[in-house]
Amino acid sequence: MITGSLFKIALDALRANKLRSGLTLLGVIIGVTSVMTIVSALQGMQDAIKEDLSQFGPSTFLVARIGMAMSEQEFLDKIKRKPITLKSAALIEKGCDLCYKVSTRANTDARVKYKDKSLRNVMISGVTADAFEVVEVQLAQGRFHTADEDRMRRPVAFISDKLRENLFEGVDPLGKEITIDGRKYTVIGVEKKAGPFGDNQERGYAYIPMSTYITQFGEPSRIMLAVKAVSVEALQDAMDQTRMILRAQRHVPFDKPDDFDILTADRILDVINAFTRILRFALIGISSISLVVGGIVVMNIMMVSVTERTREIGIRKSLGARQKHILLQFLFESLTVTLVGGILGIVLGFLAAKTLMLKIDMNIAPSLAAISLGLAISGGVGLFFGIYPAMKAARMEPVKALSYE
Amino acid sequence: MALIETTDLWKSYQMGAETIHALRGVSIQIGKGEYVAIMGPSGSGKSTLMNLIGCLDTPSKGDYFLNGKLVSGMNDDELAAIRNREIGFVFQTFNLLPRATALHNVELPLIYNGTPAKERTEKARIALTKVQLEDRMLHKPNELSGGQRQRVAIARALVNNPSIILADEPTGNLDSKTSEDIMSLFDHLYSQGNTIITVTHERDIANHAHRVLSILDGQIASDQAGARKAALTH
Repeated sequence: MITGSLFKIALDALRANKLRSGLTLLGVIIGVTSVMTIVSALQGMQDAIKEDLSQFGPSTFLVARIGMAMSEQEFLDKIKRKPITLKSAALIEKGCDLCYKVSTRANTDARVKYKDKSLRNVMISGVTADAFEVVEVQLAQGRFHTADEDRMRRPVAFISDKLRENLFEGVDPLGKEITIDGRKYTVIGVEKKAGPFGDNQERGYAYIPMSTYITQFGEPSRIMLAVKAVSVEALQDAMDQTRMILRAQRHVPFDKPDDFDILTADRILDVINAFTRILRFALIGISSISLVVGGIVVMNIMMVSVTERTREIGIRKSLGARQKHILLQFLFESLTVTLVGGILGIVLGFLAAKTLMLKIDMNIAPSLAAISLGLAISGGVGLFFGIYPAMKAARMEPVKALSYE
Repeated sequence: MALIETTDLWKSYQMGAETIHALRGVSIQIGKGEYVAIMGPSGSGKSTLMNLIGCLDTPSKGDYFLNGKLVSGMNDDELAAIRNREIGFVFQTFNLLPRATALHNVELPLIYNGTPAKERTEKARIALTKVQLEDRMLHKPNELSGGQRQRVAIARALVNNPSIILADEPTGNLDSKTSEDIMSLFDHLYSQGNTIITVTHERDIANHAHRVLSILDGQIASDQAGARKAALTH
């Protein structure tokens, strides 16, 4: 009952000093906006990475000569490793009974032409038909090549959205003939537009059957392997079986570590998360400075307000206001300002992040976590920076406050 | 038992190296329904005594019983509760909240004892009607004359039915005509059984009381029947 009345008193005081309240609000808005922009942008980035990685199912793992290198030294060490070959794939397919599908992929660069349009250094990937089952590639139109087409070395190509955009502006690409390093291929399918971290090839890329690839470019010296285990539960055992097969094939002594990397989507995500966590702390730390400045503005103005209203405090005390009544009255003022500023800051920060992210083709959605974080921060600022002025007001001696000029 | 009973009240202030004794052992008793004026020149300690009686301040030494309760040892919040329930203040400078309407100013003491909003407004209306301001309830202080402002303050003092109405130079900022009006309002309140204590340095104002306590250098110099009482006995 009293709390409600005190809250109303706080609102009246804020309304009575519109300019002052507005300036305080501005300080908080700037602070919360900068933090929220950073948080939303980072969240959007992380969501996008997660979505890109989700094309690896939960039971899929990758085998690569160099999966990931976190330091220059690690990279220099790993680059001496022997490549993984089609033979490795064949051995795993034979020896790993917990592996459901083993798909291979070999990459090269080639010149791709359609009519008078020509692109150099386009990534061409030879893949087995299984690849589309192991790694979820999203179809925009058409289809992938089949196992039969692979066996019969058919000249068919499945192209990325970027490549379609570069070659077939305004033309339906299905059934059209392109040439890859002078050899004719028929376009049978187009991949769905990928996220910002998916299609990092500026000119796009094309998938062709592995056997067709070998016919044109020769036996690949190195390949990448994507393996799907028979089930999610069997993933770990399938990875262990694969490790043993590869270590035997590559003659790794038992006391030496693997000379290849096995990666799951979770592991990749862990590494990326570890990286963005550092980034997040740094960026939020920097943007928090403006929040602290906003908090100091709140405190400063509340101090002025308390001093200016000393007499009012004296009157209220003479009429029976207790310390907690005065404390709450002033705390409600600073909390109201910071929470209103916080809500505006959340909206502005989100819009700013959205605008930023649109430039790099990334979409972000307001998350409950970000909103609660924003509200908690602004409320916290109001409490932290408002408590001292409010306590100063609450502890005033009635006689002194009443005689204050 | 007396409504107000003080024994050997001292109030001292530290001013640099010097200790100033504003009150030096004041012992008084004031009964329910009395109309008492505390008189004295400025610096005599009358305001200090009023602040102690009004529970706005605590004595350095001595006991103060109000309605049988020892208030001299109470803390800030307990004193606030006493001020809220037992005492109605009327100040020389009115001390109204400038941005609030007359009605809201009168409601203030009720806010701090948790009176529900509806009842609060009702009680404030009744109090304002008692001081003939029923048609000025929604005016702000700067839209009211000095006399009207002081009547708002009196309504605010009355609204909680306090044990004492404590007036500190209630006519100090008013012209003589308005002063008369305000003093007759006090006379009227006294006749209805309210206990009134005024602090003043004006003999005319003190003459309205039935008992005059003169204070000088922090001590009670005399305790006499007021002009009104004297006139009645003669």
